[in-house]
Amino acid sequence: MKMVFRDHFKLNDLHDEIIKKVLEIAMIQVSTHYGSLPSPFSFFVMGSAGRQEQSVWSDQDHGIIYLNQGDELKSYFLALGKEISKGLYHAGYPYCDGGVMASNPYWCKSITEWQQQITKWMLESSWETIRYLLIFLDGRSVYGESEYVERLKNHIYQTANKEHLITKSLSNTLYFKKGINMLGKLLVETHGQHSGSLNIKEVGLFPYVNAVRLLSIKERKQETSTLLRLEKLSETWFPADGKEFYQQQFLKLLNYRLWFGDQTDYDSGHYLAINRLTKEQTKEVKDIIKNGTALFNNVRRLLEKEGSYGDE
Amino acid sequence: MNTIFLMNSLWVMVAAVLVILMIGGFILLETGSTRMKNAGHIAGKTILTFGIGSLVFWAVGYGLIFGKGNPFIGFSQFFYSGYDIDGLPLSGSVFFLFQLAFAGISLTIAFGGFAERAKLSTYLIFAILFSVIVYPPIAHWIWGGGWLAEHGKQDFAGSTVVHLTGAMAALAATILLKPRIGKFNKDGSANNLAGHNQVFTALSVLLLWVGWFGFNAGSTLSVDKAFFGFVAINTNLAAAAGTVAAMIISWMVLGKADVPMMLNGALAGLVAITASCAFVDTWAAVLIGFIAGILVFYSIRFFEKRKIDDPITALSVHGTAGVWGTLSTGLFATNELATVGKPGLFYGGGFHQLGVQALGVITCAAFAFIVSYILLSVMKKAMNGLRVTEEEEIIGLDMSEHGSYGYPELVKAEQKLKAQ
Repeated sequence: MKMVFRDHFKLNDLHDEIIKKVLEIAMIQVSTHYGSLPSPFSFFVMGSAGRQEQSVWSDQDHGIIYLNQGDELKSYFLALGKEISKGLYHAGYPYCDGGVMASNPYWCKSITEWQQQITKWMLESSWETIRYLLIFLDGRSVYGESEYVERLKNHIYQTANKEHLITKSLSNTLYFKKGINMLGKLLVETHGQHSGSLNIKEVGLFPYVNAVRLLSIKERKQETSTLLRLEKLSETWFPADGKEFYQQQFLKLLNYRLWFGDQTDYDSGHYLAINRLTKEQTKEVKDIIKNGTALFNNVRRLLEKEGSYGDE
Repeated sequence: MNTIFLMNSLWVMVAAVLVILMIGGFILLETGSTRMKNAGHIAGKTILTFGIGSLVFWAVGYGLIFGKGNPFIGFSQFFYSGYDIDGLPLSGSVFFLFQLAFAGISLTIAFGGFAERAKLSTYLIFAILFSVIVYPPIAHWIWGGGWLAEHGKQDFAGSTVVHLTGAMAALAATILLKPRIGKFNKDGSANNLAGHNQVFTALSVLLLWVGWFGFNAGSTLSVDKAFFGFVAINTNLAAAAGTVAAMIISWMVLGKADVPMMLNGALAGLVAITASCAFVDTWAAVLIGFIAGILVFYSIRFFEKRKIDDPITALSVHGTAGVWGTLSTGLFATNELATVGKPGLFYGGGFHQLGVQALGVITCAAFAFIVSYILLSVMKKAMNGLRVTEEEEIIGLDMSEHGSYGYPELVKAEQKLKAQ
């Protein structure tokens, strides 16, 4: 078990195993009350679980897509969603503050309803609905018909150009916490229980995740993990160092979080104790953050340039 | 009666009113920088202690400062009754009121260090003791013809007398009172007990900024050559430079233009220029304010690292900037403007004036700190503690000391939520 906590990939496989186990138990529970499965379905995860970028602790972000329609099906799968959330909670995954869970009718729908909802999100394209779309695009099926998620993503991509999805997504993810001040020092927390630690999630990971997600939307990819997305993207976006370089940087950062993060609970897991790092390690973290910010700014420039020529 | 005498009186009367209005600035500053549950208490006690300070100043404070005595204390003119004073170019009662306002400001600054945890009775008793034993000796030494005045100490409007004295009493108080509940964690890290209203804090700075024209420009005590205009320009420039400097430094170091820090920078600029406003050129005023804005940023971090809880950053704004301001005239006082003392280091005066200023700062700071510390320690023994109980602190001093909240609906709603 201890080894698993040192290896990013094994750890994320373990998370998947736990999630599947919880799901299986929930399915048995629901079938004893409501009878057998009324329709094929997909249970998919989003957020860091969707991207396979979970640390030791992780919260819940998931949804259900089922094939057939009807009120009875709706209540069946909602009951299943509720059972899964409860189970995951007991397994140590806190509930999602934003309610992105299969127990919420918003995230538990038939495939036709999902299509309607996504169309609505695209048309409305408010800050909130764009955010939902971005969350959905990190979705990854862990059980059942994985093809449903792919179909819905393609549904998004079909109208992406017409609805200027890239431009809107860009402005949705522009804000992130600054990690390094003008004097070149890491901007650690100055107050509270994480004083002296770096919020590695917002400062370090987000620029990579957001930049690579944008490119992945641009190229209409199905992958969800930042590393895999980088694998599939074309080289043209990364002129200087090549995408392999960014893969290495991102993986290093994930490992720093895993090895030097405060693992007492979910919230603490986002904080990197800088004082436990050697001088060389601190410098490396700083460089990774700088490279992430530079990558994001470069991607932003390229996308804005394209946008201004009206190809969207 | 000649016209100049009347004009002087009128101008200083206007200035006295401006300075008394600064109490309003401090009400907004202190409430804005602290939490909602203490707002009514803080606002109310500020008015109350100004009342007490006024009565004490009338009874004995004025006499101890300006009465005939020795180089260390004055001792006549108690219970001042409004007569004119020999040798003054303005009405005695106007001069008295102007000085009373200064004593009130110093007292209000001192109470900054008590915020959010001292008992009301602590305020009442210390208001009397500070106004008799702490402030008058220092004011006498520098302004009442005492030993530092003979020495040539330059403190035009009171960077030392008013601000540093108040800040040192605040330091003694905050050490003896200990940090507020929840300010520091067990591992020594500090929490940010954010003030409840940045708009109040910003308005307070504007009020104080304008009030400071009374404070500094009014300290000319005359309309002669309209010199007050020059003093006012220096005051405004230093405040402006302090604001900009604090914003730049917080942007550079924290990555964000922190609003409370920027406001502290404005105040630090004002405090620093208070000593030197009549003695330095305008460019020096800009520099003095700018350096004060940077100093205040590092000073706040310094005190927090040492686990000294300074709720409204009085130690840094009035203490650190007060020291810097007093020393600054030792550097920048010009030949023409140094009507008291000698020109500064950069104007061919050598280290003489800087030495005088340093001596003044050290003795006044030490006196204010030690005497306040002794007084408060004795009070702590005699009153069975200076601080409210933990429970009272948590429900807020509005309720524990006065029986009603400054924001009744909001605080009650918040507590209801917490209880659920």
